[in-house]
Amino acid sequence: MNVESRKKALRYQFEKVVDPLGYKFSPDEELVDFLLEQEVFLERKHGIPYCPCQGLPKDREGRMKLVCPCIPFHREQFDYMKCCWCLLYVHKDVTDTSGLRQIPLSEIPAAGLKRG
Amino acid sequence: MKVFMYTLSTCPWCRKTKQFFREKNIPFEYVDYDLADEKEQDRILDELSRLNVTHAFPVVMIDANIVVGYNPEKYIELLDKGKQK
Repeated sequence: MNVESRKKALRYQFEKVVDPLGYKFSPDEELVDFLLEQEVFLERKHGIPYCPCQGLPKDREGRMKLVCPCIPFHREQFDYMKCCWCLLYVHKDVTDTSGLRQIPLSEIPAAGLKRG
Repeated sequence: MKVFMYTLSTCPWCRKTKQFFREKNIPFEYVDYDLADEKEQDRILDELSRLNVTHAFPVVMIDANIVVGYNPEKYIELLDKGKQK
């Protein structure tokens, strides 16, 4: 499958996963296109479309938490940011992404967050 | 002032971070974690773990300060602070 077809397939597949989680693809189409392309390359390299914006750890459990869409494993952080770390997915109520920021877990003001 | 960053070749925010410092003509050094060899990756993960940083990139070090994620406002604040010294 060529890159464009695989990007389309991933987009279709991911949309079905993130919708019930309250997320949608970013309205920034250029960003979405770039990120999906990187995921196709990561899938070709590793066999799995990992998050392009997080470094892969050595352990399998840690890697599984970075399979896109990784929202369920970073729920509190991403809900606070209103987007995932890459900004590939945003909360359904987000229409303008200009105010969104990457906020590290250590700066999320919520008690009891687990690092992963 | 010394600027160093750990980045990923696949991450658009890492690219934006590099672009930010290039546009400001601020020299920096960087290592793309995903393109490093296994030994270097292990060393980077150890270093980031000691700094209490998870797997999120980019990680920007401006002198002794660490910024995780693309955050131009914070970069400017730290660069201004560095200039005042």
